[in-house]
Amino acid sequence: MSDPNPIIPAELTEEHQHPVRERNDAALLSVRGLTVRFPTDDGLVNAVENMSFDLHADETLGIVGESGSGKSVTSMAILGLLPKYAQITGSIRFRGEELVGQPERVMQKVRGAKIAMIFQDALAALNPVFKVGDQISEAIATHKDMSRKQLRERAVELLELVGIPNPAARVDQYPHEFSGGMRQRAMIAMSIANEPDVLIADEPTTALDVTIQAQVLEVLERIRERTSSSIMLITHDLGVVAGVAERVMVMYAGRQVEMGDIETIFYRSNHPYTMGLLSSLPRLDRRAGNERLHRIKGQPPSLIFLPPGCAFNPRCPYAKHNVCDTVVPDLRELGFDHRTACIRAEEIEAAKETAG
Amino acid sequence: MTIGEVIEPTENVEVELVAGAEAVPRTQWQLFRRRFFRHRLAVISLVVLVVLSFACFFADWVAPYDINKLDLSLLGVVKGPSWHHWMGTNEQGKDQFSVILHAGQISLKIGFAVALLSTILGVMMGSAAGYYGRFIDRILSAITDGFLVVPQLAVLAVMLQYFGHTDTVIIFVLAALGWTYIARVTRGQVLSLKEKEFVEAARASGASGPRIIVRHILPNMIGPIMVNLTLSVAGAIVTESTLTFLGFGIQPPKTSWGLMLSDNEGAVNDTSKMHLLLFPGMMLLIVVLCVNFLGDGLRDAFDPQAKHST
Repeated sequence: MSDPNPIIPAELTEEHQHPVRERNDAALLSVRGLTVRFPTDDGLVNAVENMSFDLHADETLGIVGESGSGKSVTSMAILGLLPKYAQITGSIRFRGEELVGQPERVMQKVRGAKIAMIFQDALAALNPVFKVGDQISEAIATHKDMSRKQLRERAVELLELVGIPNPAARVDQYPHEFSGGMRQRAMIAMSIANEPDVLIADEPTTALDVTIQAQVLEVLERIRERTSSSIMLITHDLGVVAGVAERVMVMYAGRQVEMGDIETIFYRSNHPYTMGLLSSLPRLDRRAGNERLHRIKGQPPSLIFLPPGCAFNPRCPYAKHNVCDTVVPDLRELGFDHRTACIRAEEIEAAKETAG
Repeated sequence: MTIGEVIEPTENVEVELVAGAEAVPRTQWQLFRRRFFRHRLAVISLVVLVVLSFACFFADWVAPYDINKLDLSLLGVVKGPSWHHWMGTNEQGKDQFSVILHAGQISLKIGFAVALLSTILGVMMGSAAGYYGRFIDRILSAITDGFLVVPQLAVLAVMLQYFGHTDTVIIFVLAALGWTYIARVTRGQVLSLKEKEFVEAARASGASGPRIIVRHILPNMIGPIMVNLTLSVAGAIVTESTLTFLGFGIQPPKTSWGLMLSDNEGAVNDTSKMHLLLFPGMMLLIVVLCVNFLGDGLRDAFDPQAKHST
């Protein structure tokens, strides 16, 4: 964390196939001990606490959690877009360079050009008074000097890349003349306009219906293949993550609770919260009958008054008195690329194995 | 300015415009023009204003009589409108129509120049205060409030007394006092617009503060700015008339519509001299109305989402 290792792209592709990923210094984006607090009239809000993760080149990392679990705050912190009163500690390195505490001028060169963001509500995130093509051009012109003609050509090209039919005519339309799915595509076109290394997609499909969702995710997938950029996919939809991500990070009340590759999280999760989330999904392979969907009892805690110990302990069916409500569990390595923040993770795993 | 023109049915034109609406993608300018021309009152107002401005600024050639020459036969004899003198003659024996055209030069110049200057200044101050917030906002808002609590007319009178009564001085003083309203409007609009997600998106794409203000926020408030601009044209012309009426504005031999009103205040109870008040007053009214209609038209034309509503 302290020694900045400049990365060599050739190594990177090899590294990608090698097992040790978490300790990898060649990570594109490396977050260590990130903590974000907001002072409010009611007290300090612990939006994100002690986050550490790596995003490697050419991978999709899914970040899952319910509202208020710190997903979006993390992405805003990476882009340096948090309000000035936010208290940020820890380190965020992009290609070895520290981003936390950088002046606005430096961050402006990073945003859009190196790390770009796809917003949830494309209609709100597109400027209503500009034609879509002009907005894409503007995103490019923010970082590059290009003639109007070149900008327009590039905008058409980008719209084509995200699969908008008849892009040459569509560049001249306004956002309100686009359908929901097309708006989100235009939004994606805007964010990849400067070929960023990292794309942060903040709930890119939440506002869309399921068919369009699938199309947009497909576009994201294709973009990643074409531009070899990494994607941080923030969502509360485990289904979306299952379809696109290679690794998953689960968050609860501003803390990481579990992290691992997609198979591990979906089939060998040993954190009670993740397990609860997974079992609350409707499943095709389970007998429906009169069975109700599983739910996690209780409400997520207030971020101002976090329960002592593990933040999940009041709702946890496995919570142990005097242990879980006193000690904040660390994220522990539990096997290959699988980390869990639960004291009883081994017990749970053993119990699951005996149960079959 | 006949009322008939305004009410006349508009169907044929309407149909033609809508028929070709979706055929080909149009440039911004074409779309703007189409939307503007759909607004009949605004188009008429624009024509009236252009004709009037032309007539006033080229009054030396347009006016039927030379206002520097006196017709001694008319001196002291006030005559009502006639075929030879459309708006009658005044006490100095001058053709009132010619005088009005010359006076309009100054009134219109003051109106447009003040509106433009004060809007530019106000938008700059307001958007800086609204976007940057905090310290900058507090300072700029304090300055704005300071200007607002000052009794404008008194300051105007003193400033004009001090700097002289030329139209240039009047323009700068009126602009310096008139920017506060648009600054407040702009600040409020910017405050709400900067919370919009597209501004966040612009920040996330690496745009700098000034770039976001100029290229992302201000285009969204063309409407209010346009309306304010036109309102302040009217406001400036009226303020200038007020000042002149009170004796602080334009001084003879130059004249403005306000000064003409002030010169003839005695005519209120005299039906034979009524036209001396009526015509300058009517000119003020026409200009102010036209400018406001024009503002409405421009606001609608600038709004891309108003495309299909008429």
